[in-house]
Amino acid sequence: MSFTSMGRTLDWEFVGVENFRKLFAGTDPIVPRILENTVIYVAGALPVTIGVGLLVSLLSMRMAKTAGLFFRTVFFIPRVVPPVVWGFLWAWSWEGTRYGVFNQVLEAFGISPVYWLTRYSMLIVVMANGFLGVSLAMLIFTSAIAGIPVDYTRAAEVDGASYWQLSRHIIVPMLRWPIAVMTMWHLMSFINSYVYILLITGGGPYYSTSVWSLYGYTSAFKEYLYGYGSSLMMILVIVNAILFFLAWRIFGVKRLIAPTRLEA
Amino acid sequence: MRSPRAVFSYLILSALSTPFLIMYVAFFIQAFSERISLGILPEGVGISNFNFLWRPIPWGLERTTVWEVLRNTVLYAGLSGGTVTVICLLGGYALSRMDFKGKTFFLSLQLLLHAFPGHILLIATFFLLLYMKLLYTIPGVALARASIEIPLGIMMAKGFFDAVPWDLERAAMVDGCSRIELWSKIFLPMIGPGIAAVFIWGFIFAWHEFIYVYTFLPGTVRLMSTLIQAMIATETLPVGLLAAMSLFYMAIPLIFFVILQKALLKVPVLGGKGL
Repeated sequence: MSFTSMGRTLDWEFVGVENFRKLFAGTDPIVPRILENTVIYVAGALPVTIGVGLLVSLLSMRMAKTAGLFFRTVFFIPRVVPPVVWGFLWAWSWEGTRYGVFNQVLEAFGISPVYWLTRYSMLIVVMANGFLGVSLAMLIFTSAIAGIPVDYTRAAEVDGASYWQLSRHIIVPMLRWPIAVMTMWHLMSFINSYVYILLITGGGPYYSTSVWSLYGYTSAFKEYLYGYGSSLMMILVIVNAILFFLAWRIFGVKRLIAPTRLEA
Repeated sequence: MRSPRAVFSYLILSALSTPFLIMYVAFFIQAFSERISLGILPEGVGISNFNFLWRPIPWGLERTTVWEVLRNTVLYAGLSGGTVTVICLLGGYALSRMDFKGKTFFLSLQLLLHAFPGHILLIATFFLLLYMKLLYTIPGVALARASIEIPLGIMMAKGFFDAVPWDLERAAMVDGCSRIELWSKIFLPMIGPGIAAVFIWGFIFAWHEFIYVYTFLPGTVRLMSTLIQAMIATETLPVGLLAAMSLFYMAIPLIFFVILQKALLKVPVLGGKGL
């Protein structure tokens, strides 16, 4: 299908590599922009996911049991909430008018409303997706930390290590595998995810939050360029396949199964 | 182990989670009040936002009731969950108990399929449904949706079948059971809770699904998720209504499964050996 010029009429008209030429030869002026957005988006959301996930699990494991559980619940909620509701929550909270939640908070301090969704649209999209990833990463990291034998941490404490030193030199090195697996996992999921962007900003304003996968989706189902949309998705499939086989080679099959079990 | 420096971690996490807490709290309060001010202070507390339960909802030029939408959603999610359950139970049994050519290949294929997100195969799915004349119908979308969950579901079901002791199977086979009889008379009763788990899992994912429903059922058939999305897409957000409806949308499976769980716990787990 990616080699056809299929449009609204649904004809299978073979055009060879025409679609791909349009993609790479720069005939489509939006493509460089989309590519840039995708890179920013993935490069922004991935550190948020891994960094905050690690931070939350490290700190919450240190607290009293109920407090730690409370904070972990706060960060786990995104995963149990349906996508539509999560999208609504973000779209509403960061709304540009004075009815948006955070603008009301600002109003309490006497600051005039900020047009969050139009001005910082990319940041909001990155955060919404990043924190969705945090919930899974945090869960995996927490169970991994809980699985570290007490002997190691006790020994370090006896030697007078602070919690920072303990995390830095003992816990994080022991979490090497989960961190690597989660990075790979979320790298793939961020490259492919567009549902939340579609819900929160719809790719706008003016393509500023359109990523590759969303562009593929909108060209097929909004502009009815099915052939072109398929070509865009085809590229994603190839990227995915490469990443998957990389992951396969690095982690082996068994290690790839482990995170999926926990997710379910 | 508790030291004054532990306060530090509380501080950091509190700061980090404050925006989220504000969002959640504002959401809840908004559902039960007419307006909110300063983020979290309610004004005009009441259940007026929930009047969509007995009043029709405007949808484009027509009107619809939430019960009609709910019926569609239950139908769709139930169908999808049911398909997932049947296929996974059959496939899981075969993978767990039989030896056939290409089994390892099939198992790793399941993994590969799971790693492949269904969202980017949407266009291909669109045409498959189109040629099967199932586009824009609930069963078609339910089928397409089910296919996404099947790879992981088969792995899950395989785990349940693995737990059943071989002796039972051998005894039944000596008594002259065929494979299908074995599956339906011996295995299915033994893994009752497992069946429920697979079904619940398929149901929940279908219930929460947005993108498939949005793409394959545009406007003609309404489901809860598309109804909410349509309201987000309007010029002015009907915030109160949206919050109330989202709460309703999330609460239904929860209530459903709390009830179901009680019923499940009553089912005696068979006293078979090694279970």
